[in-house]
Amino acid sequence: MIRWVYRSLPGPTALRMSLFVLITLIFLVLLHFFYSWVGDTFLDPGGAVE
Amino acid sequence: MTIEQLVDPDESNSAVARLSRPWHDSKGVTVMRGVGWTLIYAGFLILGFVVHQLFITNIFAQRAQDTLESELAVRIDDGAQTFAYVDPATGDVVEVPEFDPTVGGGSSGGGVDLGEFEDRLFAYESAPDLGEALGTIRIPDIGLDWTIVEGVRLSPDLKKGAGHYPDTPIPGQAGNAGIAGHRTTYGQPFHDLGELNPGDRVFWDSATGTHEYEVREVFVVRPSELWVLDNRDGAWLTLTTCHPKWSATERLIVVSEMVGGPNFGLFGEPT
Repeated sequence: MIRWVYRSLPGPTALRMSLFVLITLIFLVLLHFFYSWVGDTFLDPGGAVE
Repeated sequence: MTIEQLVDPDESNSAVARLSRPWHDSKGVTVMRGVGWTLIYAGFLILGFVVHQLFITNIFAQRAQDTLESELAVRIDDGAQTFAYVDPATGDVVEVPEFDPTVGGGSSGGGVDLGEFEDRLFAYESAPDLGEALGTIRIPDIGLDWTIVEGVRLSPDLKKGAGHYPDTPIPGQAGNAGIAGHRTTYGQPFHDLGELNPGDRVFWDSATGTHEYEVREVFVVRPSELWVLDNRDGAWLTLTTCHPKWSATERLIVVSEMVGGPNFGLFGEPT
Protein backbone atom coordinates (compact mmCIF):
# COMPACT_ATOMS: atom_id res chain seq x y z
CA MET A 1 0.00 0.00 0.00
CA ILE A 2 2.85 2.34 0.85
CA ARG A 3 4.47 1.64 -2.51
CA TRP A 4 1.13 2.12 -4.24
CA VAL A 5 0.70 5.52 -2.60
CA TYR A 6 4.24 6.56 -3.55
CA ARG A 7 3.83 5.43 -7.16
CA SER A 8 0.52 7.26 -7.44
CA LEU A 9 2.16 10.58 -6.66
CA PRO A 10 2.86 12.89 -9.63
CA GLY A 11 6.04 14.68 -10.62
CA PRO A 12 9.76 14.02 -10.34
CA THR A 13 11.35 12.08 -7.49
CA ALA A 14 12.04 15.12 -5.31
CA LEU A 15 8.42 16.28 -5.53
CA ARG A 16 7.17 12.75 -4.94
CA MET A 17 9.31 12.39 -1.84
CA SER A 18 8.15 15.73 -0.45
CA LEU A 19 4.51 14.89 -1.06
CA PHE A 20 5.00 11.47 0.46
CA VAL A 21 6.54 12.92 3.64
CA LEU A 22 3.70 15.46 3.86
CA ILE A 23 1.04 12.79 3.44
CA THR A 24 2.76 10.61 6.05
CA LEU A 25 2.84 13.47 8.57
CA ILE A 26 -0.84 14.28 8.00
CA PHE A 27 -1.66 10.60 8.37
CA LEU A 28 0.25 10.38 11.68
CA VAL A 29 -1.47 13.50 13.07
CA LEU A 30 -4.89 12.12 12.13
CA LEU A 31 -3.92 8.77 13.65
CA HIS A 32 -2.91 10.55 16.87
CA PHE A 33 -6.30 12.25 17.15
CA PHE A 34 -8.07 8.98 16.38
CA TYR A 35 -6.08 7.09 19.02
CA SER A 36 -6.69 9.88 21.54
CA TRP A 37 -10.42 9.78 20.89
CA VAL A 38 -10.61 6.00 21.26
CA GLY A 39 -8.51 6.08 24.46
CA ASP A 40 -10.43 8.98 26.00
CA THR A 41 -13.77 7.41 25.17
CA PHE A 42 -13.27 3.80 26.08
CA LEU A 43 -10.17 3.37 28.25
CA ASP A 44 -9.59 6.41 30.44
CA PRO A 45 -11.72 9.54 30.10
CA GLY A 46 -9.71 11.43 32.71
CA GLY A 47 -11.40 10.28 35.89
CA ALA A 48 -13.77 13.23 36.28
CA VAL A 49 -17.33 12.72 37.49
CA GLU A 50 -19.75 14.50 35.18
CA MET B 1 -13.54 -34.27 -23.83
CA THR B 2 -10.99 -36.54 -25.41
CA ILE B 3 -7.70 -37.65 -23.91
CA GLU B 4 -5.91 -35.41 -26.37
CA GLN B 5 -7.91 -32.44 -25.26
CA LEU B 6 -7.27 -33.20 -21.60
CA VAL B 7 -3.52 -33.23 -22.01
CA ASP B 8 -3.28 -30.44 -24.57
CA PRO B 9 -1.64 -27.51 -22.80
CA ASP B 10 -3.03 -25.09 -25.37
CA GLU B 11 -6.60 -26.08 -24.49
CA SER B 12 -7.57 -23.54 -21.84
CA ASN B 13 -9.86 -25.88 -19.94
CA SER B 14 -7.65 -28.95 -20.18
CA ALA B 15 -6.41 -30.60 -16.99
CA VAL B 16 -2.81 -29.83 -17.89
CA ALA B 17 -3.60 -26.18 -18.53
CA ARG B 18 -5.49 -25.87 -15.25
CA LEU B 19 -2.73 -27.57 -13.25
CA SER B 20 -0.01 -25.48 -14.86
CA ARG B 21 -1.89 -22.18 -14.35
CA PRO B 22 0.01 -19.99 -11.84
CA TRP B 23 -1.41 -20.67 -8.37
CA HIS B 24 -1.62 -16.99 -7.48
CA ASP B 25 -4.09 -16.35 -10.22
CA SER B 26 -6.84 -18.19 -8.44
CA LYS B 27 -9.64 -16.10 -6.94
CA GLY B 28 -9.46 -17.83 -3.56
CA VAL B 29 -5.79 -17.05 -3.15
CA THR B 30 -6.37 -13.42 -4.09
CA VAL B 31 -9.06 -13.14 -1.43
CA MET B 32 -6.87 -14.86 1.14
CA ARG B 33 -4.02 -12.53 0.34
CA GLY B 34 -6.33 -9.54 0.79
CA VAL B 35 -7.54 -10.86 4.13
CA GLY B 36 -3.97 -11.51 5.19
CA TRP B 37 -2.79 -8.00 4.41
CA THR B 38 -5.88 -6.53 6.08
CA LEU B 39 -5.08 -8.45 9.25
CA ILE B 40 -1.46 -7.31 9.10
CA TYR B 41 -2.52 -3.65 8.75
CA ALA B 42 -5.06 -4.10 11.56
CA GLY B 43 -2.32 -5.57 13.72
CA PHE B 44 -0.07 -2.58 13.12
CA LEU B 45 -3.01 -0.25 13.85
CA ILE B 46 -3.69 -1.95 17.19
CA LEU B 47 0.01 -2.10 18.06
CA GLY B 48 0.24 1.62 17.30
CA PHE B 49 -2.71 2.29 19.58
CA VAL B 50 -1.10 0.40 22.46
CA VAL B 51 2.19 2.27 22.00
CA HIS B 52 0.30 5.58 21.78
CA GLN B 53 -1.67 4.98 24.98
CA LEU B 54 1.19 3.51 27.02
CA PHE B 55 4.07 5.73 25.93
CA ILE B 56 3.18 8.65 23.66
CA THR B 57 0.52 10.10 26.01
CA ASN B 58 3.00 9.86 28.91
CA ILE B 59 5.53 11.89 26.94
CA PHE B 60 2.92 14.62 26.32
CA ALA B 61 1.98 14.70 30.01
CA GLN B 62 5.58 14.78 31.22
CA ARG B 63 6.42 17.70 28.93
CA ALA B 64 3.33 19.54 30.20
CA GLN B 65 4.37 18.81 33.78
CA ASP B 66 7.75 20.46 33.21
CA THR B 67 6.00 23.61 32.02
CA LEU B 68 3.49 23.52 34.90
CA GLU B 69 6.26 23.23 37.49
CA SER B 70 7.85 26.40 36.13
CA GLU B 71 4.47 28.17 36.09
CA LEU B 72 3.78 27.16 39.68
CA ALA B 73 7.15 28.42 40.88
CA VAL B 74 6.42 31.79 39.29
CA ARG B 75 2.92 31.85 40.79
CA ILE B 76 4.27 31.23 44.28
CA ASP B 77 7.15 33.70 43.86
CA ASP B 78 4.71 36.34 42.65
CA GLY B 79 2.88 36.10 45.96
CA ALA B 80 -0.38 34.54 44.86
CA GLN B 81 -1.29 34.13 48.53
CA THR B 82 -3.45 36.78 50.16
CA PHE B 83 -5.81 36.69 53.11
CA ALA B 84 -9.56 36.36 53.27
CA TYR B 85 -12.39 35.79 55.70
CA VAL B 86 -15.85 34.33 55.47
CA ASP B 87 -18.54 36.97 55.98
CA PRO B 88 -20.88 35.38 58.54
CA ALA B 89 -23.85 37.32 57.21
CA THR B 90 -23.62 36.12 53.61
CA GLY B 91 -21.27 33.14 53.84
CA ASP B 92 -19.19 34.64 51.02
CA VAL B 93 -15.40 34.60 51.03
CA VAL B 94 -14.13 38.18 51.22
CA GLU B 95 -10.58 38.57 49.96
CA VAL B 96 -8.41 41.21 51.64
CA PRO B 97 -5.48 41.51 49.22
CA GLU B 98 -4.11 44.65 50.84
CA PHE B 99 -3.87 43.05 54.28
CA ASP B 100 -0.26 42.40 55.35
CA PRO B 101 0.23 40.94 58.85
CA THR B 102 3.92 41.91 58.78
CA VAL B 103 3.06 45.61 58.58
CA GLY B 104 1.45 47.35 61.53
CA GLY B 105 0.51 44.06 63.17
CA GLY B 106 -2.75 43.07 64.79
CA SER B 107 -6.00 43.85 63.10
CA SER B 108 -4.57 46.78 61.18
CA GLY B 109 -1.97 44.93 59.09
CA GLY B 110 -0.92 47.05 56.16
CA GLY B 111 -3.23 49.83 57.31
CA VAL B 112 -6.33 47.63 56.92
CA ASP B 113 -8.56 47.57 59.98
CA LEU B 114 -10.34 44.23 59.96
CA GLY B 115 -11.90 44.65 63.36
CA GLU B 116 -13.88 41.59 64.39
CA PHE B 117 -12.93 39.69 61.23
CA GLU B 118 -9.27 39.44 62.14
CA ASP B 119 -9.82 36.15 63.96
CA ARG B 120 -11.51 34.74 60.89
CA LEU B 121 -8.62 35.40 58.50
CA PHE B 122 -7.19 32.49 56.59
CA ALA B 123 -4.51 32.09 53.92
CA TYR B 124 -6.24 32.46 50.57
CA GLU B 125 -5.40 32.21 46.90
CA SER B 126 -7.70 32.77 43.96
CA ALA B 127 -7.83 30.22 41.18
CA PRO B 128 -5.63 30.77 38.12
CA ASP B 129 -7.03 30.65 34.59
CA LEU B 130 -8.08 27.27 33.22
CA GLY B 131 -5.09 25.23 32.12
CA GLU B 132 -2.62 26.98 34.43
CA ALA B 133 -0.74 25.46 37.38
CA LEU B 134 -2.47 25.58 40.77
CA GLY B 135 -0.44 23.46 43.20
CA THR B 136 1.23 20.12 43.80
CA ILE B 137 -0.29 16.99 45.27
CA ARG B 138 1.98 14.51 47.05
CA ILE B 139 1.06 11.08 48.40
CA PRO B 140 4.28 9.44 49.66
CA ASP B 141 2.57 6.08 50.33
CA ILE B 142 2.08 5.51 46.59
CA GLY B 143 4.93 7.67 45.29
CA LEU B 144 2.61 10.28 43.80
CA ASP B 145 3.97 13.77 43.12
CA TRP B 146 2.14 15.77 40.44
CA THR B 147 1.57 19.42 39.63
CA ILE B 148 -2.14 20.07 39.37
CA VAL B 149 -3.69 22.18 36.65
CA GLU B 150 -6.82 24.31 36.99
CA GLY B 151 -9.74 22.68 35.17
CA VAL B 152 -10.94 19.20 34.30
CA ARG B 153 -11.52 19.59 30.57
CA LEU B 154 -10.48 16.36 28.88
CA SER B 155 -8.35 18.44 26.55
CA PRO B 156 -6.16 20.27 27.30
CA ASP B 157 -6.39 20.26 31.14
CA LEU B 158 -6.36 16.55 31.99
CA LYS B 159 -3.85 15.76 29.25
CA LYS B 160 -1.36 17.65 31.42
CA GLY B 161 -1.88 15.26 34.34
CA ALA B 162 -4.56 15.88 36.98
CA GLY B 163 -6.90 18.85 37.28
CA HIS B 164 -8.82 20.77 39.92
CA TYR B 165 -12.62 20.96 39.50
CA PRO B 166 -13.15 24.73 38.99
CA ASP B 167 -16.56 24.64 40.69
CA THR B 168 -15.08 23.39 43.96
CA PRO B 169 -12.93 25.26 46.52
CA ILE B 170 -9.18 25.27 46.09
CA PRO B 171 -7.45 22.67 48.30
CA GLY B 172 -6.27 24.23 51.54
CA GLN B 173 -9.48 26.20 51.92
CA ALA B 174 -12.91 25.58 53.40
CA GLY B 175 -15.27 23.12 51.74
CA ASN B 176 -14.80 20.08 49.52
CA ALA B 177 -12.05 20.55 46.96
CA GLY B 178 -12.06 18.13 44.03
CA ILE B 179 -9.23 16.86 41.82
CA ALA B 180 -9.59 14.45 38.88
CA GLY B 181 -6.81 12.56 37.14
CA HIS B 182 -6.09 9.88 34.55
CA ARG B 183 -5.40 6.42 35.89
CA THR B 184 -3.77 4.67 32.95
CA THR B 185 -2.83 7.25 30.32
CA TYR B 186 -1.29 10.74 30.13
CA GLY B 187 1.26 10.03 32.83
CA GLN B 188 -1.26 7.96 34.83
CA PRO B 189 -1.04 10.29 37.86
CA PHE B 190 -3.69 8.40 39.85
CA HIS B 191 -2.63 4.89 38.78
CA ASP B 192 -2.15 3.62 42.34
CA LEU B 193 -4.94 5.55 44.04
CA GLY B 194 -6.74 2.27 44.76
CA GLU B 195 -3.93 1.25 47.12
CA LEU B 196 -4.76 4.04 49.57
CA ASN B 197 -6.40 3.22 52.87
CA PRO B 198 -8.04 5.33 55.57
CA GLY B 199 -5.32 7.01 57.59
CA ASP B 200 -2.89 7.55 54.68
CA ARG B 201 -1.59 11.09 54.23
CA VAL B 202 -2.09 13.43 51.29
CA PHE B 203 -0.09 16.67 50.99
CA TRP B 204 -1.10 19.76 49.06
CA ASP B 205 1.56 22.39 48.27
CA SER B 206 0.47 25.72 46.86
CA ALA B 207 0.87 29.48 47.31
CA THR B 208 -0.82 29.21 50.72
CA GLY B 209 1.74 26.68 52.00
CA THR B 210 1.58 22.95 52.65
CA HIS B 211 -1.68 21.46 53.88
CA GLU B 212 -1.92 17.91 55.11
CA TYR B 213 -4.93 15.67 54.62
CA GLU B 214 -5.79 12.25 55.98
CA VAL B 215 -7.69 9.71 53.91
CA ARG B 216 -11.12 8.97 55.39
CA GLU B 217 -12.89 6.93 52.70
CA VAL B 218 -12.10 5.02 49.50
CA PHE B 219 -15.05 3.84 47.42
CA VAL B 220 -16.37 3.34 43.88
CA VAL B 221 -19.30 5.13 42.21
CA ARG B 222 -20.81 5.55 38.77
CA PRO B 223 -19.35 8.38 36.63
CA SER B 224 -22.56 10.42 36.95
CA GLU B 225 -22.58 10.55 40.75
CA LEU B 226 -21.79 14.22 41.18
CA TRP B 227 -22.74 14.20 44.85
CA VAL B 228 -19.18 13.17 45.71
CA LEU B 229 -18.21 16.80 45.03
CA ASP B 230 -20.97 18.32 47.16
CA ASN B 231 -19.70 20.91 49.60
CA ARG B 232 -19.02 19.87 53.20
CA ASP B 233 -18.42 21.58 56.49
CA GLY B 234 -14.72 21.71 57.32
CA ALA B 235 -11.90 21.29 54.79
CA TRP B 236 -11.87 18.24 52.52
CA LEU B 237 -10.07 16.99 49.45
CA THR B 238 -11.77 14.53 47.10
CA LEU B 239 -9.77 12.72 44.41
CA THR B 240 -11.52 11.02 41.49
CA THR B 241 -10.16 8.68 38.83
CA CYS B 242 -11.29 5.91 36.49
CA HIS B 243 -12.12 2.45 37.79
CA PRO B 244 -11.25 -0.27 37.12
CA LYS B 245 -7.99 0.41 35.35
CA TRP B 246 -8.37 0.63 31.56
CA SER B 247 -12.09 1.20 31.86
CA ALA B 248 -14.46 4.18 31.80
CA THR B 249 -17.34 2.42 33.51
CA GLU B 250 -16.83 3.59 37.13
CA ARG B 251 -14.97 6.13 39.24
CA LEU B 252 -12.72 5.50 42.23
CA ILE B 253 -13.20 8.14 44.93
CA VAL B 254 -10.72 8.99 47.69
CA VAL B 255 -12.02 11.38 50.35
CA SER B 256 -9.56 13.00 52.75
CA GLU B 257 -9.87 15.62 55.47
CA MET B 258 -7.48 18.42 56.40
CA VAL B 259 -5.42 17.58 59.48
CA GLY B 260 -2.59 20.08 59.23
CA GLY B 261 -1.29 23.23 57.55
CA PRO B 262 -1.62 27.01 57.81
CA ASN B 263 -5.42 26.92 57.60
CA PHE B 264 -5.92 23.85 59.78
CA GLY B 265 -8.51 24.42 62.49
CA LEU B 266 -9.89 27.61 60.94
CA PHE B 267 -12.84 25.90 59.30
CA GLY B 268 -13.95 23.77 62.25
CA GLU B 269 -12.55 20.75 64.01
CA PRO B 270 -11.86 17.62 61.94
CA THR B 271 -14.28 14.72 62.32
